[in-house]
Amino acid sequence: MNIGVIKAYILKEFKELIRTRMIFIVYAIPIIVIVLFGYGIKLDVTHSRVLIIDNDQSKLSRELIEKFKHSKYFNATELNISESKALKLIKQAKKDAVIIIPNSFEKRLIKNQKVNIGVFIDGSFPNRARTIENYIEGVIIDDLQSYAPKTSISTNVININPRSLFNQAMRDEDAIVPGLIGFVLLVAPAVLSALLIVKEKEEGTIFNFYASPISKEDFLIAKLTPPFILHSLNIFILFLIAVYLFNVPFRGSFTLYWFSSELYILISLAIGLLVSVVTRSQIVALVLTVVITVLPGFLYSGMIMPISSMSQESYIEAHMFPVMYYNHIIYDTFLIGEGLNSRKIILYLIILTIYASVLFILGRLFLKKELKK
Amino acid sequence: MANLNVNSVTVIYKGNRIGIKDASFKAEEGEIVGFIGADGTGKSSLMHAISGIIKFKGEISFGKYVYHSPKEAEKVKKYIGFMPQGLGLILYDRLTVEEHLDFFANVRNIKMDKNFKTYKQKLLHMAGLSRFTEREAEHLSGGMRQKLSLICTLIHRPRLLLLDEPTTGVDPLSRLELWEILDNIRKEEGTIIIVSTAYMQEASKMDRLLLFDDNRIMASGTSKQLTDSVRNYVYKKTPCKDTDCLELHNVTYSLKPLNSEHKDPTLEDIFFINALKNRKKLTEISVSKRERRLEIPPIVMEAKGLTKKFGDFVADDKIDMELKRNEILGLFGANGAGKTTFIKMLLGLYPIDEGELTLLSQPIRSGRDRRKLKSKIGYVSQHFALYKNMSVRENLIYFASIHQIPASEALRRIERYGKELGFSDYLDAMPKDLPLGINQRFSIAAAIIHEPVVLFLDEPTSGIDVIARHQFWQLLKLLKEQWGISILITTHYMSEAEYCDRVVLLKEGKKIADDTVENFYKKHPEASNFEEIFLEYYREAN
Ligand SMILES: Nc1ncnc2c1ncn2[C@@H]1O[C@H](COP(=O)(O)OP(=O)(O)OP(=O)(O)O)[C@@H](O)[C@H]1O
Ligand SMILES: [Mg+2]
Repeated sequence: MNIGVIKAYILKEFKELIRTRMIFIVYAIPIIVIVLFGYGIKLDVTHSRVLIIDNDQSKLSRELIEKFKHSKYFNATELNISESKALKLIKQAKKDAVIIIPNSFEKRLIKNQKVNIGVFIDGSFPNRARTIENYIEGVIIDDLQSYAPKTSISTNVININPRSLFNQAMRDEDAIVPGLIGFVLLVAPAVLSALLIVKEKEEGTIFNFYASPISKEDFLIAKLTPPFILHSLNIFILFLIAVYLFNVPFRGSFTLYWFSSELYILISLAIGLLVSVVTRSQIVALVLTVVITVLPGFLYSGMIMPISSMSQESYIEAHMFPVMYYNHIIYDTFLIGEGLNSRKIILYLIILTIYASVLFILGRLFLKKELKK
Repeated sequence: MANLNVNSVTVIYKGNRIGIKDASFKAEEGEIVGFIGADGTGKSSLMHAISGIIKFKGEISFGKYVYHSPKEAEKVKKYIGFMPQGLGLILYDRLTVEEHLDFFANVRNIKMDKNFKTYKQKLLHMAGLSRFTEREAEHLSGGMRQKLSLICTLIHRPRLLLLDEPTTGVDPLSRLELWEILDNIRKEEGTIIIVSTAYMQEASKMDRLLLFDDNRIMASGTSKQLTDSVRNYVYKKTPCKDTDCLELHNVTYSLKPLNSEHKDPTLEDIFFINALKNRKKLTEISVSKRERRLEIPPIVMEAKGLTKKFGDFVADDKIDMELKRNEILGLFGANGAGKTTFIKMLLGLYPIDEGELTLLSQPIRSGRDRRKLKSKIGYVSQHFALYKNMSVRENLIYFASIHQIPASEALRRIERYGKELGFSDYLDAMPKDLPLGINQRFSIAAAIIHEPVVLFLDEPTSGIDVIARHQFWQLLKLLKEQWGISILITTHYMSEAEYCDRVVLLKEGKKIADDTVENFYKKHPEASNFEEIFLEYYREAN
């Protein structure tokens, strides 16, 4: 390692980052994303797993169940089990919601008497829970309205009794903001590091690297250090925003949060590095990085949908991206605080370390110190 | 003794395109070897191979180091200095001149001692950049960028120096100083210097020349040996209709003996004779009349006291200039004299700080005044602004659409220009795959697709080979004759002054001369070419 050379490169990179105003983007984008999304994320929920317990077994109740089965928003199954067993399924994250149709459902409806439908929803993800609740209500009301003209049923006899389970006091911010940190720290450093090398290819300054004795390792260290340092500051900025602006509790160890975030930034930088060694133009590099970071960053952050409630394929996919592991750790540091006492967290830290190392090794292998033919 | 030995080096690109085939040569310590040849004949490929930045077949050795691949070449890179082709390609736009030199020195682990500082000052002085150490590269003129790249390459005192067209876009005075520096380095330090150049006058300063053609080294020898080898084919201009003949403006080449007087050959002649020998027909350039007749005022452009300032720095200082109908006006001056800035003011790319401008009898005061004239003006910038990801045809269609030329008409014109300017075969190629000379012709096509009345050309011939340049000037002459077009052109090839009707000299932002070429020669009877006249003006005041 040649410290003098690395220092010269780093100094140059910093000057360029500052003079091209790139530095504003380094800080503005993460802050904007977390503030905007933190205040209002609302997304469609599809295929939420609903369990319906039909205590009535009447024509009307079966028709209602059919409606649920045909909706793309639900994967409805009908089971005749006890309420407590059903609730256990939610607890185990095997179901998102349970709907209980009371035994005199049809009779009471026809008589225009009040009917209580019990709805239990997994509240670990409050936004999602609320969305599911709205959809369930929608289906039921819609179903009744289709009868209303023919019969004398009025829709206001229905009383839906929704209850969020387990997380009654949990706020949206608590569920979303840590996930956003995982999202932002995956996308932003990757974009920056992807551009830094490809820009030199596009402009021709890469010749300076090709033609000089500087080693590939030194070059990479020099190229990646500035984005690493700059984004390390984001770890703190985002923390402060989460805790002081969104009042998300912080129950775990700050050191763990800090350390795992630095590790995670390294992964992100390495993704950018990989992109920039295989692409030739800034625009392609940018698009490619965004595609491979934004989508998984969003989908598998656990912000929108708990990993456990994913279909088989997306469950496996989620485990292929680093987001999920990191997010597990920061949700813990923010909301739970089990920290290193949890085996899973230690395992996940190891996985992240392996992830980073593999990506860097690949980046180093693919980096060429010669013109492409 | 660190000698260079290049042994049958071949570079092949994707799709089996040959870069250079079987190149072998040796160079001794302190020797200057020149690469000359048309565009695309493999000079850069060979330089890349020797600098160890591209895969090649064959063997290269430098001193005790032998290498067959970029990987093996790593160990010699600390001795190598390589400057790639292109205007200031290796510069970081946002770093200042001084920061560049320090960066390049640091990357090479140079101690920043007194010795270094003296050397740095010397280089800065040579490049004429001493006054501009605080300026960011982005704000340097084209030639200044080129000179900065050059001194950045020299800063670590390489033992093997490879310079790919380092003097493209560099003014005559700086070129002379550059050659002095190179000469010093090789004498004092025994550096091997390999230079490619499109300036044939420079070639005579080299110890040995390698002549590239058809992606091989065709011949090698001193400048004298090479010119002697074609002596028999060069005649004073005589009519000759044979296919073995080629007649240019003041010379005739013939492979068969002619009954006529010989002319002293120059290196440039070698290119034409080579073309003749290889039966490469030079594309006949033609230009047909305008599709639309136009009334053109007798004075096309009139500038009065035009001034441009960047902060405290005055780039153009109260310049008066006139461009007449049907006139080719050459704008000459050292690097940073303010030529590009002046043209950019004419075009409205820079706001005018002071002075008055009239274009086609229309006083220019606002953007609206300019928009009315847009369809009458054509422009080619110092770095041809073509879109890399579009084919030649698509580029031209794009430029036509800017000028709201209907598609059918545009396509027809593109076909016609393709034929007349000789790039029909390349219409569907990507600009980056084309020889520079072809690219430049089609940049002109892009600039004249809307049949303008006046054409502003900023160094259109820089970096282009001898034959392409010759054809280019033929094209301009035809445009003038057929279209009555007026052209304002900048160039650092002093010999091109002969093609201009009038020449304006700029120096440090001021106009110092403005006359017909004839009158310049009358005023300087002792001068044998325009370069001498130019240098006289520049030295006078110093
Ligand atoms: N945006 C800018 N800011 C500061 N200085 C500038 C800017 N643009 C140009 N200059 C300076 O103005 C002077 C004239 O530059 P210009 O590009 O006009 O030179 P030129 O005559 O075209 O030179 P060359 O032959 O090298 O192309 C130079 O000293 C240049 O550094
Ligand atoms: Mg210029």
